[in-house]
This record gives sequence, structure tokens and C-alpha cells, in this order.
Amino acid sequence: MVDVSQHELVPEHTVLEEEALEDVLEEYNIDRTDLPKIKRNDPALPDEAEIGDVIKIVRDSRTTDQSIVYRLVVE
Amino acid sequence: MTNVAYDVDDDTIAVVEDTDLPRRLKDEVYETIEAREGATVEEADELAKAVETRYLDTRVEPLDPVGTVSAQSIGEPGTQLTMNTFHYAGVAEIDVTQGLPRLIELVDARKTPDTPMMTVYLEDEYATEREKAHEVVWNIEATQILALGDVSTNVADMRVQISLNKDTLQERLITAEEVAGIIEDSLGVKTVQQGTQIEFGPEEPSYRDLLQLVEELRDITFKGIEEVSRVVIRREELDTGTEEFVLYTEGSAFGDVLEIEGVDASRTTCNNIHEIHRNLGIEAAREAIIEETNNTLAEQGLDDVNVRHLMLVADMMTNRGEIESIGRHGISGSKESVLARAAFEVTVNHLLNAAIHGEVDELDGVTENVIVGKPIKLGTGDVDLRMGSTTSGSGQAD
Repeated sequence: MVDVSQHELVPEHTVLEEEALEDVLEEYNIDRTDLPKIKRNDPALPDEAEIGDVIKIVRDSRTTDQSIVYRLVVE
Repeated sequence: MTNVAYDVDDDTIAVVEDTDLPRRLKDEVYETIEAREGATVEEADELAKAVETRYLDTRVEPLDPVGTVSAQSIGEPGTQLTMNTFHYAGVAEIDVTQGLPRLIELVDARKTPDTPMMTVYLEDEYATEREKAHEVVWNIEATQILALGDVSTNVADMRVQISLNKDTLQERLITAEEVAGIIEDSLGVKTVQQGTQIEFGPEEPSYRDLLQLVEELRDITFKGIEEVSRVVIRREELDTGTEEFVLYTEGSAFGDVLEIEGVDASRTTCNNIHEIHRNLGIEAAREAIIEETNNTLAEQGLDDVNVRHLMLVADMMTNRGEIESIGRHGISGSKESVLARAAFEVTVNHLLNAAIHGEVDELDGVTENVIVGKPIKLGTGDVDLRMGSTTSGSGQAD
């Protein structure tokens, strides 16, 4: 199998720690289900990610240097 | 974090880094200061502050209808896009859909594009040596029997005779034995192979079976990927000044190609956003949507559409972890509000279904409030202002 994370279209995906997640949800004043979603069978997902986890994605942004987004693992 | 790429003194770096600017704007400030040699720290500070003020000014205001602005910003240049489907793209002699049809195809999230294609980058020696690059080509391009030799039918003996071309076999790295083996496996017949000659026929002498065998023979893919009908090889110059071979394909099978030896699996792309989603995930699909829509507009000289609008579209399309189309089968169709859905397309169907199921519209969104004539919760519609509420009494009123 090819290593998907090496492709230039794929940004870095990491599982977000529970504590860090609290801070994020508080900062945006939202629930975890309000976050954009990512499917459990997504090829770019880290192996240890499970349903309900939140993935932190660091994109190389077109408008600034880096942008950080979060996706909730579903289904 | 201090910047070293520019020739400016430490104090200047300190004042610029102190501002609330994103990296790229900071870099531009450095560049400007560097170009105007001898700017004092005070001047640098003034400049940085001015840029920061302007930056904060140009940010989206709270309650700005960014979606509507995006729709208009893409829609207006959309009227200038070409309506005809086919056009040779700038690269290679490969036909690709462009202009309006391509844009529609992207936002509709069609399962397969009209003209699927891949851009295959190669790694190491495959990218620099022509023979090596050709090896990859033959592993990608579908090879049918007619490319390998001549087929003739001997009606008297009820036999199909294939006379393979030795040079072609050698060039495409396939042997006559392999060809015979593939024929036996896919047609279920016994073959007689002698050198470059292969012969076979139906079990029972039947004219119809014989013709059918020939038909089926023509459809067999002996080497390469079935979906890829043509590969064009091009030598391209890199930013570093060196040259490399790049392959452009007609037809796409993204997952299969990534596995082939010699293919650079970190740069190779295709124009089918679903294939990218399947093989690289939702984030890569989002990236591909932005890239493809942006290129489609740029190809027609409409690259002054701000990329933020395209990013918003891509964000919406990938928000649920899978690619959704804009439109009544996708995002618009999954809206909570009945009236908002009915306002988009097939009005009667939506209203009828809503009535049958006894749906309730909470009137939370924009569209439904426009319909019923209430203020919308955007811009000034969402804030309450009070004037002259001070209690200091006289002198105020006039």
C-alpha cells in the first residue's frame, strides 16, 4: 500500500488530546458534533483514531501560512 | 521566531513580528523594507502598524453573508465561461472538458468526469531516463491485441490465428507465452503457441462461436490498466532547472497507478475528485476541488476570483466527511427548512412531501424569512440598536 500521508494533497492529521479538545470547543463555543466530519474509513486517518475522536488537521493555507481545522471521526 | 530570509535589522524584525499579521503579509513587509534600504525602526514600525490596520479592516465583519458573496463572485465570472465542452488543454494533446461544463461537473460532484485524466509524476531514474519512463507507460496504458500483432480468422479450419510483432512485444515488455496464457485464462480456450504465432478455435466448429471469440479477443487488456486508453509522455522543466518526464493519461485509475513502480505517489494527481477522496481522503478531496475550480477559472482568464470563495465551496462540499454536491441532491436538498428547499428547485414536490409528513418550518434560516417577509438574521438584521437611552434627563433631547 502507498503511504497516503506522503502525498502533497494530504495535510497532517493527528488525533487531538481530550484536554486540548476542551479548549478548542470552548474557544469556538460549540459542541463536538458541530465540527466538520471525517469518515472512519478515510485513508488519511491515523491508525489509532476511533469514532468520536477529534482529528487536528494542519493545512498549508493559501491565504495565510498555516490553518488548523478539526474534524470529528464518524461512522 | 525571527525571520532570516530578508536583510533587515533585529529591531525591525521585532516591530514587525509584534503585529497581528499572518506570515505572508509579514514577509511582504520585510520585502518592502528591504527594497527601501535605510528605513529607520520608526518608519518600519509605522509601516507595520499601517499594514496591520488595513489588514484588520479588510477582514470579514461579523454577520457578513459570506455564502451569498461567494455565490455572486463565482456566478458573475461564470457568465463569461465558454459553453462548448471540448478543448485541448495547454498540456499535451489530451482532450479535457473545460469552462462552464467542467465547473458544473465539479460542483455537481459527478461520479466520473466527462474526460477523466491523470497527471503522473515519476521518481528517481524513471523521471530522467526515457526508456525507464516508457516502462511505466506500458504498465499504465492498456494494450489490446491489435497493438501487438495481426489477427486473422481461418474459416476453413475454424481457427483464430494471431501473428505477433516481435519488436512490439519486446518494446512493451511482454512475451508470446504470456499473451497465450492471458488468452487461455480470459477466453477459456486451448491455445497453440509457436514462436510469435498463436492459434486457437472454438471447441465445436461453429462459425458464430469463432466470430464471438475474435470479438472478445479484441477487448482483452494484455498489459496496463483497462481504464487508461492513452498515455502521453512529456519532458518538463522543473523550477530547479533540471528536466523530468511527466505522463498525461486519457482515462484514470488513480489507486492502481499509485501502486505502480516508478510512479511518484506523492505528486501524481487526477481530475476525478471522487477517486482522490477514495484514495487520499476527504482533506485531499477538498484541496483537489479548490485546485480544479481555480484552474478551470484561470484557464479562461478569470483567475481574479478570490480563492476564499472557492475554499468556502470546497469546505461546504466536504463538511460531512464525504463529497456532497451543491444542489438539490446535495447541500441544498439536505437543508432543515422546507421553504428553503422549496425555494431552490422542484418547489411543488418539496411542499407536497412536507405536507404529507407534517413537517414544521422553524423559520430560522435566511431564505425562509425572506419568503415570509421577516428580517433575516444577517448583517444589521441580527443586532438590536438602542438610541438615546441615557437617563441624564434634559439637554439631551432637541
